[in-house]
Amino acid sequence: MEVEIRNRPSFANLLVNMQAGERIIAEADAMASMSSTIEMSTRWNGGVFSAIARRYLGSESMFVNEFTTASAGHIVLTQPFPGDMACVELQGNTIFLQPGAFIACETGIHLGLGWAGWKSYIAGEGLFRLKLSGRGRVWFGAYGAIFTREIQNEYIVDTGHLVAYEPTIGISIGLAGGIFSSFFGGEGLVTRVRGPGKIYMQSRSFDGLAAWTNSYLY
Amino acid sequence: MKYQMLCRPAATAIRFHLDQGEGITCEVGAMIAMSSGLTVNTTSKSRGGAGGIIKGIKRMFSGESFFLNHFTAQQANQSLLIGPAMMGDCVHHTLSGGTMIVQGTSWLASTGNIEIDTTWQGFTSALFSGESMFWVKCSGLGELFLSSYGAIYPIQVQGEYTVDTGHIVAFEDTLQFRIGKAGKSLIGSFLGGEGLVCKFQGQGTLYCQSHNPPSFGQLLGPKLKPR
Repeated sequence: MEVEIRNRPSFANLLVNMQAGERIIAEADAMASMSSTIEMSTRWNGGVFSAIARRYLGSESMFVNEFTTASAGHIVLTQPFPGDMACVELQGNTIFLQPGAFIACETGIHLGLGWAGWKSYIAGEGLFRLKLSGRGRVWFGAYGAIFTREIQNEYIVDTGHLVAYEPTIGISIGLAGGIFSSFFGGEGLVTRVRGPGKIYMQSRSFDGLAAWTNSYLY
Repeated sequence: MKYQMLCRPAATAIRFHLDQGEGITCEVGAMIAMSSGLTVNTTSKSRGGAGGIIKGIKRMFSGESFFLNHFTAQQANQSLLIGPAMMGDCVHHTLSGGTMIVQGTSWLASTGNIEIDTTWQGFTSALFSGESMFWVKCSGLGELFLSSYGAIYPIQVQGEYTVDTGHIVAFEDTLQFRIGKAGKSLIGSFLGGEGLVCKFQGQGTLYCQSHNPPSFGQLLGPKLKPR
């Protein structure tokens, strides 16, 4: 299965070329177009209970779509907001994704839901996070461009900008600076991530867009 | 006439180089900048075409403007820069006597002898395709420039092809589509978030957009303050 991330970074979308018997799992409503030789089937996102938990606690879809073909064909997968996409290959390890970031994965990946904690909630990232583990490739998207960074000790990310991270990363909430600069400097609360591990950040925040749009609505 | 696509796909603009006597018809408001040797003529008629007020009113139903802007070079070596209002991509398609069915608001500009009209693709298309009720019909000889939110990719359909609702930009009239379900079962298709899709049949070029505004709106809408 060949997967190309096209039109980066502003309108990234996945072109998935499939051969007979290959399978890909995609987030609900991710399909933009596909060959008529591709068959789509819908199934629970994990088990019934974890699917319900993911829908109501993790803001993910209750169902995922599995695409397969008996001959050959292609699918175009997309995300609702403009931005970049990235691919991670898991070899038995785990990665955490923020709600809404997941786009697609190979069938060797297990989709689970993990408790992220109140700290994560306060940081604007959600109480739960999507936990992907197993073997295979995972594709996820972001609003804006994606930056990666290997963290050794401590690193500070503004709230709403963290997209994905490895399980070795610890998260806590802190002030950006002193009380004054934190609240008048526009940064407010920030996320303190502690390594070692890799993090993925997005160059724009969706809540930032909402706040900006709201300031123009009367 | 020469053209150049700039800054694809997010902030696409098209730069035209025109020689004396050459002209382009553009959507109202598409002009970004132009040389001083170009004249603008605003009418509701296509260039050299028939129709007038009725054509203009019909065009408004498809989401386009009542008026069209005709740019004509009065001197040699003139340039015109145009772009769509929204961020997104533009594509170019050469019409040689055929017809292109374009989603409302995606027609940006055309050259030569292309008639811009409105068409109705039937009730199921109007209600379920995720596009406007009426479509823009471009037919004749010349170059056609289309724009859309998201990146635009062409598909050469041979036989059958499936497009999610809200992702169609334009298609040749040698293609027909019907509304169908995305998966094998109807319930599964809806639960899987894909619901209804457009199934194209025939031979011809189809243009799809990678992103669609309603999905973006559904995410952003709940975060906006009530008005």
